[in-house]
Amino acid sequence: MDKSLFITDDEIFERMNLAERIQHLVLIVTFLLLVLTGLPLFFYEFKLFRWLIPSEAAFQVRGIIHRLAAVGLLGVVVWHIGTTLFTRRGRRNFKELRPRFKDFRDALELFGHNLGLTRFLEGKGLFRKFFKKHPYWLFERPPLFGRYNFIEKFEYWAVAWGSLVMILTGFFMWQVELSLRLFPLWVHDIFVVIHGYEAILAFLSIIIWHMYSVHFNSEVFPMSKIWLNGRISGHELRTLHPLEYQAIHLERERAQARAKAGQVMNPYENAKN
Amino acid sequence: MRFSGAPRLSFPPALGLALGLALLSLAPKLQAQSQDDCLACHSDPELKRANETSLFLNQERYADSSHGQAGLSCLDCHAGLRGVRDFPHAEKLKKVACASCHEKPASEASLSIHGRTASDKKEPLPGCPDCHGSHDIRPARDFESMTSPINLPQTCGRCHLEKVKNGRGGEFIRQYEQSIHFRAIKKSGLTLSASCSTCHGSHAIQAVGSSQSLVSRKNIIRACGQCHVGIEKDYLEGVHGKDYLKGIKDVPVCTDCHSEHAILQAQDPNSRVYVTRVAEVCARCHDNLSIARQYGMSASRLKSFSDSYHGTALKFGETRVANCSSCHGFHDIRAASDPKSTINPANLPQTCGRCHAGAGKNFARGKIHSIQDETVTAKYRSSYVIKRIYLILITVILSTLVLFIAADLFRRAVARKRHG
Repeated sequence: MDKSLFITDDEIFERMNLAERIQHLVLIVTFLLLVLTGLPLFFYEFKLFRWLIPSEAAFQVRGIIHRLAAVGLLGVVVWHIGTTLFTRRGRRNFKELRPRFKDFRDALELFGHNLGLTRFLEGKGLFRKFFKKHPYWLFERPPLFGRYNFIEKFEYWAVAWGSLVMILTGFFMWQVELSLRLFPLWVHDIFVVIHGYEAILAFLSIIIWHMYSVHFNSEVFPMSKIWLNGRISGHELRTLHPLEYQAIHLERERAQARAKAGQVMNPYENAKN
Repeated sequence: MRFSGAPRLSFPPALGLALGLALLSLAPKLQAQSQDDCLACHSDPELKRANETSLFLNQERYADSSHGQAGLSCLDCHAGLRGVRDFPHAEKLKKVACASCHEKPASEASLSIHGRTASDKKEPLPGCPDCHGSHDIRPARDFESMTSPINLPQTCGRCHLEKVKNGRGGEFIRQYEQSIHFRAIKKSGLTLSASCSTCHGSHAIQAVGSSQSLVSRKNIIRACGQCHVGIEKDYLEGVHGKDYLKGIKDVPVCTDCHSEHAILQAQDPNSRVYVTRVAEVCARCHDNLSIARQYGMSASRLKSFSDSYHGTALKFGETRVANCSSCHGFHDIRAASDPKSTINPANLPQTCGRCHAGAGKNFARGKIHSIQDETVTAKYRSSYVIKRIYLILITVILSTLVLFIAADLFRRAVARKRHG
């Protein structure tokens, strides 16, 4: 993406506002607590967990922490839904987060580009005709992402889906008498199975995917600080979220054109942006 | 403590050991020896055999003993000295024959594992005095008796803890000292509790492997049932007891679950049937594929239980959750098809309701031990289908994520090589 005349590389933009950062922090804490107090039940043969939960009292404390953290998670979910529905920023973010066809294409393009297999084949002179006719499949350039790339969208919706499933099934596991008043045992068994396996899925996804994206990825290593200060620079925006960068550029360009056309009434208008 | 009255024949017979001695060096030749004649020498605490073992007779102890109380004199037992005139008499005397009075116990003992006729073992076999003493034989009810329940473990232990090694060794026998039976005797003085002879028998004791043994598989239920009458009744009414009566060899008897010498109260955390440990005991058969196949039972009972919250929590020591016996009962466990069974579908709401207040019919609409099994109603197996779907989903999603990361790392590596 070419450099914009309206955005300097060291300009600071707010990617996560304070509320979002707090939500993220609460999510980290509750998620970790839930995993730590929940996984032992799934891997009950694992020695480390026996060591972690050495006594009956510890086991009961485990249960209490798990439920407290669950309430915390429920709280942050409700709060997030609230900010999403009732703030302009929330609604705009949500719009950006909706999955689109482009996301699937981006995934394919990024993978194809990174692998470079088709370019390799073409270099060897294979399928030359095909690639000449369909250069798309060479994946010469990586896809351009908007405010949220497909990885971030996937994570967002994974958390959304996971929280919903875990909260629902967890509620009925907590209130087992109520659950069995409403459902037969075999349905309750399904809740239990889902709660366990969804947890494993969430835990592994986060460990593998999110930790790579925000920690070990060489672009951000050792850690992206966005979750702490919420700030992203013009340079980062240009390289990581070029479409958003472009959108800001266009917006400013239009604003300037408008200002020029209609005489600058307020000389500080640009500075405010 | 003294007990008056003549010794009863029902007492463990005990006879004085042939005190192989009797030196009456000073005594003049007399027609008939009296007690005093014997005591003329044997009241000397310094009197010893050539090999330094004492020949002293403690008169007070003897007077207090069963035989002393009955007024038996030396010659009643030491019959070899009758009519002997030359003193000191020969060191080797005829062995005291307890059987001359205590006929029944003596003949029982001779046929027992301890008896010479029944045993071809080389170890020295115990004679009457080894268990009963010689001059201070006392009735078992006497606290000082070697055969009192309080002292019996020590008496038997003199040989069985070290000298006599049976199949499982002295440690196995020593476990008795930790048992509830021994503690009841030792700490609470409950002599009705089981001591060695209560289970193994006394004079007629047989090798544990012998079918005649009181603790053989054939007899063990009755052995424990001597005291645990109500439990014997419960057991015989349950599935295990019914199969036991049919002579099925694999069915558990008392000791299979409770252990033998190391038996503890179920409330003791070290007991094999303690709430957090009982599942392992049941699993020896009920998680055993070959036994399950042979008797047409469902297998994987432990696995399916451990996977449930009840089982998992128990593994972490949570004692409030259900263990095997919470639902199945223990001594009178019945098949689910039995209308009296606690796990009969009609009774499940009541059984589950003991912990889950207001438990209704829904508790019976599913499988507690949820395993994938053709015999289980299709919808009861649906959690298994979900589980499988999740496993596929997890595999697919995670491999995709890993592939993306691998491709990303690959591209970066290539770029670094090219540019840097």
